[in-house]
Amino acid sequence: MLSKLSKKMFAKSLWVYHCNSGACNGCDIEILNVLTPYYDVERFGIKLVGSPRHADVMLLSGAVTRPTLPLVKKAYEAIPEPKLVFGIGSCATGGGCWFDTYNVTGGGDKAIPVNYFIPGCPTKPEAIIYGVALALGLVDKQASPYELKQMEFPIDAYERKKAWEERNVIYQLIKD
Amino acid sequence: MNTIESVTQTLKSKFGDAVKATETPTGNRLVVDIDGAKVKDVSKEIMSLGARYMVSIGYDNISRDNTLGLIHTYAFDKEQFALMLRMSAPADNPVLDSITPDTPNAGWSEREYQDLLGFKFQGHPKPKKLVTADDWPDGIYPLRKDVPHNLVPPAAEDVAYQLDEAPPGTTTIPIGPFHSSLHEPNHWALYVDGETIKGCDYRGFMTHRGIEKLCQTQLSYNEIPFVAERICGICGSVHACCYAQAVEAATGLVIPKRAEFIRTIMLEIERLHSHLLWLGVAGHLIGFDTVFMQAWRVREQIMWFCEKLTGNRKTYGMIIIGGVRRDITPEIRSELETICKNLEKEITTIHKAVAGDTAIHKRTKGVGYISKEDTIKWSLVGPVARARGVDIDARKDHPYASYGEVKFDVPVVDSCDVWATVLVRILEMYEAIKIIRQCLQKMPEGPILLEVPEALPAFKHMVMMVEAPRGEATHYVITGEENRPERWRVRAPTYPNLQGVPSMLMDNQFADFPIILGSIDPCFSCTDRVAVVDVRTGRKSLVGKRELEELSRKYKK
Repeated sequence: MLSKLSKKMFAKSLWVYHCNSGACNGCDIEILNVLTPYYDVERFGIKLVGSPRHADVMLLSGAVTRPTLPLVKKAYEAIPEPKLVFGIGSCATGGGCWFDTYNVTGGGDKAIPVNYFIPGCPTKPEAIIYGVALALGLVDKQASPYELKQMEFPIDAYERKKAWEERNVIYQLIKD
Repeated sequence: MNTIESVTQTLKSKFGDAVKATETPTGNRLVVDIDGAKVKDVSKEIMSLGARYMVSIGYDNISRDNTLGLIHTYAFDKEQFALMLRMSAPADNPVLDSITPDTPNAGWSEREYQDLLGFKFQGHPKPKKLVTADDWPDGIYPLRKDVPHNLVPPAAEDVAYQLDEAPPGTTTIPIGPFHSSLHEPNHWALYVDGETIKGCDYRGFMTHRGIEKLCQTQLSYNEIPFVAERICGICGSVHACCYAQAVEAATGLVIPKRAEFIRTIMLEIERLHSHLLWLGVAGHLIGFDTVFMQAWRVREQIMWFCEKLTGNRKTYGMIIIGGVRRDITPEIRSELETICKNLEKEITTIHKAVAGDTAIHKRTKGVGYISKEDTIKWSLVGPVARARGVDIDARKDHPYASYGEVKFDVPVVDSCDVWATVLVRILEMYEAIKIIRQCLQKMPEGPILLEVPEALPAFKHMVMMVEAPRGEATHYVITGEENRPERWRVRAPTYPNLQGVPSMLMDNQFADFPIILGSIDPCFSCTDRVAVVDVRTGRKSLVGKRELEELSRKYKK
């Protein structure tokens, strides 16, 4: 559903604002790296802009630290609607290895609503391109959420999988 | 010429009883225990002997003798040894004299321990908050042992950092925390007269993640190298290597020769890709995007090679205590040789293009000038110092890994501006290729990992220096019980260099700010851990919440 919406809302070139909320530089460099000749995302019309006012999409990298928490919120509010937020890297996804220290608030979703997470430490440039393209409906989904097989009675596993499918709204959404 | 003995003698004869004890844990380290009351004089004496101030380390010793410890470290570069000046202060009233008036670079270290350990430094010229968040309550010191690593005090609304008052006749231009010329969050206030910069104030440490506390309380010895790599996404191996070497030296472990060579190769590969990255970013900052694209294109093959060798493009996870985790196979070796050949060709092309480009000359020559004397006074390190004619390089001065066994030059340029830093970095890339080739040739066969004993001896102090691409990284380790260090202090090269930036900015054009800041290759995630440097002393002004909001609106647009 979200990708259908995205396709409609962000049909043309995407302008991307990169927000570092306390990353180690690893993911930031990979984000810059997707602009360089080997990956060249500008061919998809994706462009990095310097101001949140110009942007459609926010790429958030790094765990949100205590000082940057209000700043990230402000930057998010500055982006005009409609907008998408991508959490890039393990730290933006869940806070990384320092998720519970005294100066870290947690992952990106602790500060602002994050639409997509692209994990990795650091995220590979291919993964960033694939993640963004998937979100925009440019490519087909190649992987889907999968529950680990339980060593139980087959009928039980089957029922559990079915129940989980019905309960899980996100699963439904991604499945269209 | 100073030696360990002569320095010990000088200090003992000058200060008598104030020098309580001395020891030499290894041949090139000297620990001097002194009376905390005399720190200012002793430090001044050490500096007058020609030492370079590195970093201070504070640690919590309350559980043992109810004191807080502080160690100032100094390097004697040409004499190839380091001095650790150790003192303590009672925990209920931890007051010491500040050494910042004589050694300006100690300013941040001292402020850091005001925030993190509750020290008070008398005579500090700018005792403002540095590391902890603005709304962090007073009286909670995160590095003290009784404070858990995951203690998060509730946030306060209307607390804001107080910028220095602008010098008379100037306007304040705020830059950051999120700004297109800064790739990491940090806040600068530039005081400009027309277009000319007349001073600045800096508040950084926004990516302070509490790594030291996390590692001292939660992780074990051999888990820390992996977190150390994540201090910085660019110079990961440097931090892991520096930490591992510090623990090895403190506990007397001797790692296999082959592991040393592989470490050297990893460090040089990192220097190559970091310098290419910097060259690209510098090109981007002066508006020359062709350099950015080309330099990063060349860099990409190193990243692919790293992925083959280690399994990841960055944060390699190669170096642990006792050696390295993956060996260089013959196939990898021949590939590395091919890459060296390609890179040499490509770098020569870039070198010619950059050196012959008048636009780059105009944007960088004479910009960001700081004299050789000021460079030494501020204890700047790495390519920033070498571009000012100061010949320091930890690889030569304090040989580690296998740098003692390979031949290389240390390029030094003395035009003291941004152009010199460009040149130094390009020349260093050739040297890095040279070192990799020699290492591949000289690398002996054998094991790559040492079996580390179960329990490592506790309470050994060791300081270790490693030349990162941006300068000298210093790690200080106090080994501990429970299979983890008692204290681990990281000082990244940006930490001293950033303190020198205000001097470089002085009287330059506002438009040159990005490239001057960029010329030190700043890595705030390494350093952060927020900072403020004051060029002209002025009265402190109170910036209210409303004013700060206005400022923030201004820079958002």
